[in-house]
Amino acid sequence: MFKKHFMHQKMMTKVLIALLPILLMAIYQFGWRVVLLLAVVLVAGSAAELFVMQQIQKDKVKLTEACFVTCALFTLSLPPATPIWVAVVGIVFGIVFAKAAFGGFGYNIFNPALVARCFVYVAFPTHLTYNWTEPFRGFPAGLTAFSGGVDMLTHATPMIGMKAGGELPPLSDLFFGLTSGSLGETSALLILLAAIYLIWTKTASWKIMVSTVASAGILTTIFYLTGVTPTPPQYMLLSGGLLYAAVFMATDPVSAPKGEEAKWIFGVMIGSFAVIIRRFSLFTEGIMFAILIANALTPLLERNIREWKNKAAAKAKAAVAAQGKEEAAR
Amino acid sequence: MIAPPISPVIIFLASIITSNMIFANFLGTCSYISVSSEFKTASGLGKAVTMVMVLTNALNWLIYRFVILPLGIDYLRNIIFIMVIAALVQILEMFMDRFLPDLHANLGIFLPLITVNCAILGATLFMVIRNYNFIQSVLFGLGSGIGWWLAICMMAAVRERMAKAKLPPGLGGPAIAFIITGIMAMAFVGFSGIFTIQ
Repeated sequence: MFKKHFMHQKMMTKVLIALLPILLMAIYQFGWRVVLLLAVVLVAGSAAELFVMQQIQKDKVKLTEACFVTCALFTLSLPPATPIWVAVVGIVFGIVFAKAAFGGFGYNIFNPALVARCFVYVAFPTHLTYNWTEPFRGFPAGLTAFSGGVDMLTHATPMIGMKAGGELPPLSDLFFGLTSGSLGETSALLILLAAIYLIWTKTASWKIMVSTVASAGILTTIFYLTGVTPTPPQYMLLSGGLLYAAVFMATDPVSAPKGEEAKWIFGVMIGSFAVIIRRFSLFTEGIMFAILIANALTPLLERNIREWKNKAAAKAKAAVAAQGKEEAAR
Repeated sequence: MIAPPISPVIIFLASIITSNMIFANFLGTCSYISVSSEFKTASGLGKAVTMVMVLTNALNWLIYRFVILPLGIDYLRNIIFIMVIAALVQILEMFMDRFLPDLHANLGIFLPLITVNCAILGATLFMVIRNYNFIQSVLFGLGSGIGWWLAICMMAAVRERMAKAKLPPGLGGPAIAFIITGIMAMAFVGFSGIFTIQ
């Protein structure tokens, strides 16, 4: 019964394994409420997917493992104090409108987890930008707590502090993740480990990760050196969701481009859009908008590269033919 | 009647990115939805819209400044603008048919469609409401046209890629196109605040 309605996907299992340490870190920092949030999101997301996909596949409907990955990625991208109903609205919107409406797994143009995150961010800004929980430290920290208490709310994240021109947190805190922020984005170390695991098992494209982070780094360095932004580039890279999104969201095998050149361009687009949005627009964090815009541009990009290649091939062919004619004339 | 002190270049960039005709103003969506099922046609329409937008914005600015304002017939401006657009498109088509047959073969079939494209009238009205000067108006028209072209190309590429997908019943064609546009517009919200042009 369970096997009949469940589609196992090897790649997705690896992503889930890579997410596990990050989830544990989130529990350690923010308490067991994380698990409750994740469970509710998983149930709501799976139900939404099954319901819509039933309209297409009738009784052959199967729950894909990719749906679990979407739910997990979405949950870990939320702030710790997110109300549960907001998370449910988000995941149902993401699964229904960004995945199932497009025909289910393998056809979605946009990353459903990001659409969900972006939707709640735009629709419920108060719940997603004002309440930040100060993380627990030491031992047993969050392992014995349900959630960070009320008195810990309204603490700005390092990113918000930087945009407001406040003082910078210690770099090591940013690296190990002892700062406030969304559930999964705080620890750069764990995300890097997950990235190594994903690249090692050939689950995610290293080209996208490298080009995203490198282009963001280069652009922030330029901004820093020219005095456009006062924040040094290493802080920009380690704070906020840039690493998390570059490793887990941008590399989504369905919505990311398939061609090699397209992957590089895709990453560069994400990195530079993210930095531009962070610096110039109304929002503190730009990476999710950047990836969605890059997702929207991907089919156009792939099409242009294909056309350009065809033209180059036709040209080469014509050149070879002309050469052959010349030789024949001789 | 003083033009806002904004660099025309900023207006040009803003009308592509932050105040895109499709993603921010939702103007011209009728032809955007109905002509985006094939990439080549979509791109052709986009080019034609860009060209017409630049020309009508320039012409309408001159007419507004030197005819409508001096005569004090501001209440007639919408009708006059529409007539100017329709006449210009017709003249353009005849001119292209006579002198530029290649271009006419590519863009000519779209020109009649453009007469009723609300993005064109929208660009003209925005330019009047915001008191742009001549250079600002022309660059605003160019930027809006390019933004519209980009949007319809993105849409056509997306729809071409999902041609094989099996959609839920009732969501094929325009329905899914609206959903895609909505998500794209949501993504472009991220750029808001970079430029202000009013």
